[in-house]
Amino acid sequence: MTDPAPRLAPGVKLRKDAKRGTVLLGPERILELDDIAQAIVAEFDGKKRVSEIAAALAKEYDANADDIRADIDALLKDLTNKGYVKP
Amino acid sequence: MTDLRPIGLLAELTHRCPLGCPYCSNPLDLTRAGQELDTKTWTRVFDEAAELGAMHVHLSGGEPLVRKDIAELTNAAHLAGLYTNLITSGVGLNAQSLTELRAAGLDHVQISIQGVDPTRADAIAHFKGGAKAKREAARVVVEEGLALTINAVIHRGNIGDLPQIIDLAVEWGAGRLEVAHVQYHGWAIPNRATLMPTREDFLAAAKLVEEARKTLEGTLVIDHVIPDYYAERPKACMGGWGRQVIVVTPDGRALPCHAAATLPGFTFDNVRNKPLTEIWETSEAFEKFRGTAWMPKPCKGCERAEIDWGGCRCQAFAITGNAAATDPACALSPEHAKMRDMATADAASNAGTYRFRRIGG
Repeated sequence: MTDPAPRLAPGVKLRKDAKRGTVLLGPERILELDDIAQAIVAEFDGKKRVSEIAAALAKEYDANADDIRADIDALLKDLTNKGYVKP
Repeated sequence: MTDLRPIGLLAELTHRCPLGCPYCSNPLDLTRAGQELDTKTWTRVFDEAAELGAMHVHLSGGEPLVRKDIAELTNAAHLAGLYTNLITSGVGLNAQSLTELRAAGLDHVQISIQGVDPTRADAIAHFKGGAKAKREAARVVVEEGLALTINAVIHRGNIGDLPQIIDLAVEWGAGRLEVAHVQYHGWAIPNRATLMPTREDFLAAAKLVEEARKTLEGTLVIDHVIPDYYAERPKACMGGWGRQVIVVTPDGRALPCHAAATLPGFTFDNVRNKPLTEIWETSEAFEKFRGTAWMPKPCKGCERAEIDWGGCRCQAFAITGNAAATDPACALSPEHAKMRDMATADAASNAGTYRFRRIGG
């Protein structure tokens, strides 16, 4: 399995909004993130690899690293296809 | 009073533009430079929009780059906390101006193209050298690491070039492509017979977009704005009247959509005299078609009433003469067949001369 170091795509920003919570802002689009998604996306800095992010979040939330890894992979695929993230 | 909050502010900074596209969404009665809001007023409008809850500002026009204070305006919007999107023809965007805009806080650039062949593209834009300038503008945007969207307005004169247009967006390094079929407002109305594609050509284009979306998944996001004349269901115009977007015209009128000034019997408040929040929350114009209470049958009680919000008010008026009618793009509208027939007749016509957009035109 590949182990990319994802980052936000050019022109995409992570913002906190009083009414909408944490959102990804991109050109002509906005995506509201739930708690799990925002914890993951906050780690997408272009340096950390998915395996490292999964290990760190598993430790922080006392969860199974494989489950977390599956969550990250699914979110990464979705956000990449929508143009918010570059793997 | 509404508790809805707009997502975006469409700031039409000017109607001035070097191009003369015959499908321009600006009104036929273009505002002159002397009537434009000044830097200070726009700065206040950006602050008020952010306070109201807007997250995006679309710096648009006309051509926003003709404003001498464009960097200052971009910076004001950025400092207000808004995501700044420059909607430009690309003419006037070079390494120097882009560096300046980027330093001012520009987040994203959208460049319109008229086609792939420079001569034909320039003929549609009625501006020699435009295609070349756009290519250069796209190059510097990507080189600066900024996000680029290509907006391609599609009509009878270029619908057959869609595969090449998609290739061009990829080649130029765009992250997003808007395949935007002409919407018949503003200058597109008098040019309808020249612009309207056939239904067959539209369906082929739609199929092509679907296929390209699959092939280019992860590389290029493609948004497809379909032509209402060949639709079965209307679009939620602007995400619904007074729900997601607030438009401010060059002379300061606040509108629920950029064509709303064509509707009769309306008085639109001006940001020169009233705060944006007050206009959004309480003005008669924004309240008029907000929600579902105003709806006639077949919208009233329809399961799609809160999906498409009755469609486009300006189109309803343009086709039926009644702004409060169901958008005739809907197959349930009694005027739907009339609209389809108009499109079919336009598409079959031999009209080949554009009326180009110009101030005083």
